[in-house]
Amino acid sequence: MSSVHADIDALTGLREALVRYRHAQREVAGRGEEEIRLVRASLEAKASRWRAQLAQCQAELAACQERAAQAAADGPAADGPAAGDGQADCSGYARAAEQAGERLEQVRRWQQRIDAEASEFQGTAGRFADLLENDLPRTEEHLLAIVRSLEAARRVQAPGA
Amino acid sequence: MVSRPDRDGDQQVRLLDDAWDQAAEHWRDGMAREFDAGHLAPLLRESRGYLDALRALMDTLEAAERETEG
Repeated sequence: MSSVHADIDALTGLREALVRYRHAQREVAGRGEEEIRLVRASLEAKASRWRAQLAQCQAELAACQERAAQAAADGPAADGPAAGDGQADCSGYARAAEQAGERLEQVRRWQQRIDAEASEFQGTAGRFADLLENDLPRTEEHLLAIVRSLEAARRVQAPGA
Repeated sequence: MVSRPDRDGDQQVRLLDDAWDQAAEHWRDGMAREFDAGHLAPLLRESRGYLDALRALMDTLEAAERETEG
């Protein structure tokens, strides 16, 4: 290509770069949305698992307490969970239930934070999507019009025309 | 390992910046200045704003996954 047409070549290259940019950034935006969806699903699965774990721990704690109460009612010779001083020892179940509750609460806090931040992000993402879908194609057309006007002025045959 | 979308987006901004630098070596008239100010600069500004927001959100998503492991 002659250096006389270097500006046309440069503008054509820039337009092609803009087209590539639009496609690449559209993919970036799509992957961003997918990441949000995946982490939300992951957190929901974790919350579900900790809810089930909490329910199981609470059931085991209640059963332990019931056995302990029964043992206490039956007298010191009866079998049942008892500490050295004769008191029922359900502390392990209580601790497990407490830990499951804390983990569930931690997941819920992250879910709330992500909901809030993702909601805020949607405004910016929406503007960017609009830019990619509407503004950028207009910019590409604008560049193409400039290229064509330069070509017409120099009587250069447009590539592919 | 799959790269984060915000980092890939940053790379695309750099590529477009480079493409503009190359074009600007041969296109220096008033129309070029108008294109830069009226089209390219707003595009890059809006892109960087979006990618900053995406980066912050990706950081939060990673932290959420990390902090709720196990």
